[in-house]
Amino acid sequence: MKQELFVQRYKQEWDAFERWLDVRGESAKEARSTRRQWHGLADTDVPARYRRLCQQLALARRRGYSPVLVERLQQLMQRGHTLLYRTPPPRWRRLVMFLLAGFPRLVREERFCMVVSAILLWLPLLAIFIATQYKPEISSALFDASTLHKFESMYDPHDTSHALGRGSETDLAMFGVYIWNNISIGFKTFASGLVAGVGAVIVLLTNGIMIGGVAGHLQAIGYGDPFWRFVAGHSSFELTAIVIAGGAGLRLGLNLMAPGQRRRVDALIDGGRRGALLCAGVFAMLVMAAFIEAFWSSIGWMPAWIKYSVSAVLWLSVGLWLWRGGRGDAFDETAGEGTPR
Amino acid sequence: MLDTYREVVTPEGVVLQLRAAGPVPRALAWLIDVAIRMGIMMVAGMVFGLLGKAGMGFYLIALFLVWWFYPVVFEALWKGRTPGKRALNLRVVSGNGGPLGWQAAFTRDLLRVVDMLPLLYATGLVSCLLDPWGRRLGDMVANTLVVHDAPPRGLVEATAATPIPLTVVLRQHEQAALIAFAERGPRQSPARRVELADLAEPLTGLRGEAGVHQLYGLANGLLGRNE
Repeated sequence: MKQELFVQRYKQEWDAFERWLDVRGESAKEARSTRRQWHGLADTDVPARYRRLCQQLALARRRGYSPVLVERLQQLMQRGHTLLYRTPPPRWRRLVMFLLAGFPRLVREERFCMVVSAILLWLPLLAIFIATQYKPEISSALFDASTLHKFESMYDPHDTSHALGRGSETDLAMFGVYIWNNISIGFKTFASGLVAGVGAVIVLLTNGIMIGGVAGHLQAIGYGDPFWRFVAGHSSFELTAIVIAGGAGLRLGLNLMAPGQRRRVDALIDGGRRGALLCAGVFAMLVMAAFIEAFWSSIGWMPAWIKYSVSAVLWLSVGLWLWRGGRGDAFDETAGEGTPR
Repeated sequence: MLDTYREVVTPEGVVLQLRAAGPVPRALAWLIDVAIRMGIMMVAGMVFGLLGKAGMGFYLIALFLVWWFYPVVFEALWKGRTPGKRALNLRVVSGNGGPLGWQAAFTRDLLRVVDMLPLLYATGLVSCLLDPWGRRLGDMVANTLVVHDAPPRGLVEATAATPIPLTVVLRQHEQAALIAFAERGPRQSPARRVELADLAEPLTGLRGEAGVHQLYGLANGLLGRNE
């Protein structure tokens, strides 16, 4: 078929499709509200019309029609492709379901990495903590004198002029600090896992050593009470979140080094997808932790038994959430969140 | 590295051509974005500075959002473009040529951390130069790529002329050459046009301007135009 005849025969179709893209393709919301004013190509015919266009493009290429025509069809096809294959917009309900069910499931799916990550954080933490009880001078090897002094003044039991765990900053200012600082660390822990997992391991180990060192030092010099009252609550979310971020990073590094029977890049894509989902959960957990840390943990006058009971509830609920969340049929809607579809 | 076109076969069986963008336009786009982000943070600093100590908290939250979520929000909501990419006509698309979702935008943003190592996106640059489609590590993990958005230079329809039927059978690439000549002719200098048309003397039997017109006519005949 000659090119002119081909154009003549199908030009109207292309124009109608282009008009539809111009008017109704931009925003789904607007398209819904102007449904009745629209008299062109019907919305339900668009996919069929798009497939027809693809066929015409293939024909035009095969028959060697001029670049002007092929380019026009190609552009129409690309716009149609962009529209038809877009990812659905996020829904609030799905987001809630993800936090309640999908995220704990994903964590349990990666339990090997999570356990390794937990060991990498907790082993040095406990080791350093116990060691400083017998040899208090270890803390001065870990931190310089001014840092130690800062920690001591933050948790001085005799100084009631400021809230627990900080200098003279307000709750809101500290909330900002925790958001910026802690969530950035969480995200970096995951991302640095791409360097064959080494980055995540380093972050976990150093955090374990630091936290163990500070806790051990304060306990050894008798400042333990305000310190434990401060950290008991938010640590439930914070330490667990760091472990999960580290686990996601380890998974990514592992997929890089041992992709199994997949192509390396496919293994990475899978690790990245899971990692991003896990990081979304880590983000929520760390916002929660920052909130508790800024507005609850810092209250100095609260009797210890209230603080510790609330902490116990928090630790238990985090454990239960990750252990039981998303089990049972009620949550099947989010099934396969972590498995490739 | 030389062929930066990525061809993706869509489910409909046609090839989608993506023109992958190299490190230089991406770096420029990044610089524009950095300037915008710094601008936002300066304004935020001034506004929240008025609030005293509590303002510090808001400032840090703003810093967190701008630092981590500025690219995510723009890329996911604005068809894969941040303002910097928009200025340079770049766009992030998913590896199958489709638009980018929240998850992919978030992944490629998180992995900036690695691409930035050890400084100034050095890792990202190396990866970008080694990869045939100029992807940094974050792009590979998120399965995305950055493409040039601008359509190629405007193409013009073939010059109209009285169609002349061909008397010999031409192969397909020869026909394409004739039509391409008719499309490009008007943008060439007359001397160049004539020079090219003279090459086709065995076909047209003419030289000079007459040959050019003969070729235009043949091209119109091939396109199937009527008088």
